[in-house]
Amino acid sequence: MDQFIFRQRYKNILFAFMAIGIICMAWTWFSDDALHTRFWSNFFHNTMYFTGIAFAALLLMTMGIVTYGMWFVAFKRIWEAYSMFLITGIILMLVIIGGVWFHYHHIYHWTDAQDVAKDVVLNGKSGFLNPWWYTIGTIVTLGAWAYFAVKLRSLSRQQDNNGGIDDVTEYNQMKRLSAIFLPVGGFLSSVMIWQWIMSVDAHWYSTLFAWYATASWVVACFAFTALMIIFLKGQKFMDFVTVEHMHDVGKFVFAMTIFWAYLWFAQFMLIWYGNNGEETIYFNRQMQEYPVMFWGNVIINFVLPFLVLLSNYTKRKVGPMVFICLLVFFGHWWDFFLMIKPGMLHTAHEELASMGDHGAHGAEHVSHFVEGFTIPGLLELGTMLGFFGLFVYVTFVQLGKLSLRPKNDPLLPESLHHHVQ
Amino acid sequence: MALKNKEVLFGLFDDETQLLSAVADARKTHMEIDDVYTPFPVHGLDPLLGLEESRLHIAGFFFGLIGTMTAFFGITWIFTKDWPTIFGGKPYFSFPAFVPIMFELTVLFSAIGMVVTFYTVCGLGPGVKAMTLHDRITDDKFCISFDITEADEATKSDVKAFFAKHGASLVDTKMI
Repeated sequence: MDQFIFRQRYKNILFAFMAIGIICMAWTWFSDDALHTRFWSNFFHNTMYFTGIAFAALLLMTMGIVTYGMWFVAFKRIWEAYSMFLITGIILMLVIIGGVWFHYHHIYHWTDAQDVAKDVVLNGKSGFLNPWWYTIGTIVTLGAWAYFAVKLRSLSRQQDNNGGIDDVTEYNQMKRLSAIFLPVGGFLSSVMIWQWIMSVDAHWYSTLFAWYATASWVVACFAFTALMIIFLKGQKFMDFVTVEHMHDVGKFVFAMTIFWAYLWFAQFMLIWYGNNGEETIYFNRQMQEYPVMFWGNVIINFVLPFLVLLSNYTKRKVGPMVFICLLVFFGHWWDFFLMIKPGMLHTAHEELASMGDHGAHGAEHVSHFVEGFTIPGLLELGTMLGFFGLFVYVTFVQLGKLSLRPKNDPLLPESLHHHVQ
Repeated sequence: MALKNKEVLFGLFDDETQLLSAVADARKTHMEIDDVYTPFPVHGLDPLLGLEESRLHIAGFFFGLIGTMTAFFGITWIFTKDWPTIFGGKPYFSFPAFVPIMFELTVLFSAIGMVVTFYTVCGLGPGVKAMTLHDRITDDKFCISFDITEADEATKSDVKAFFAKHGASLVDTKMI
């Protein structure tokens, strides 16, 4: 079938997911410490992860268009639908921006004016790490991305109704728009990842960090694309997407997994070898206090996918692909967990200590395996399920709006006859 | 590797669609194709000829593994036993610093190993005389060849009829 139908059955399941998410978030809120650290870290973690996947989808689609790629055209509507989640991402980020001004969360240490005044490092960085930069940067960046996503989507809609496969008006417009998006997406994502994620550990910095986080999003996006194709084909939609397209997506999961591991290792090794105290403290904390997360990250995001996807055979079979894609999708959620939780917990301990709870700061250095921080607990998984439901809901609504077959795309016939072997 | 000389009867085709339909027809009528030569890789030829998937990449994996092991044990021996050196206050056995070398030797061993294996299997190498049925196979013609060393006249005429039927632009025999 070329037309996606958002069946009641899917809606019920997704609403159940979202309900679980809301219950878990409420539960977290009421069982939390005075600063609601666990609640806000979960909210922020999932917002970043899923908005990033939407951005990665847009990035991959525009790269494909600019490079005259045809391999993805058959399932291009999935990436278009993912990229529309950027609008939801803006709404979620507005909640975070509100907290930067009104201090109802303590994600960032640099939002605390008293600490910034006392702290030489934070003071020195305050030209970049300040609420104004954060607010304007976030709104301009996400706004620009959402603009490109919406514009590409509407061109795609026009293309469906234009003069047929030989009419390249919209195709050329898409190409121009994609070429403009690539530098906008590339440069702004780099700067904003420093603001959004790296500044959670405001004293620490790494030049590689933005690429590393982007690579994480890109792997997650490819893995989720493979899962979505398998699901849609299982439900008898998109029968024109074949095992050859699956093979290509599988190869990209494999390649990007290695790219992610390369960046992870490059960042780790340079800091380890440089042996500069203000840099090594980041990894020292992760290895001492988050050993399961730290080593598990490498195993589930590199070792297992590398060994399983190395063979040609596994990329063309549904079973191994589903297993690895679920693993990697969860694994990069885990990776973002490790980027956000340690820094936030540290900030929260310092805040709580300054509020008079002197036990809190000391507690950090003796406690291992704090559920919700050094290891994801059930509430974290539930919250993830809620955001996952929201993401898939937005995707399905968007998939239902247009035919799954981009029937007037000039590269579609080539894509339908795609062979990789 | 051609161990003994054989006589082949070959036909040249002008484009790959002719070649593909000829190959499909030959397979259907159980004619035994000796080899097919094309100026570039033709899509869909391998499954038509019923070729097995190459096992070269499996060899490549093991060459790579040997490379990883060589690098790991080699550098461990050098920096802990043979010539212990302190770099930047790190221990003699500092695994993260070994990883780039392990990676490089993995790539090197697997690349060289696969090239050597491929050359050996195909009988290629320095000093080997290139065996070309017809010069234009290296330019723009597609060729199917049949081994007729022990064939009788009836078979030969069958093959010629087959070439005529599929529009071969040139049919010839050659000893290789």
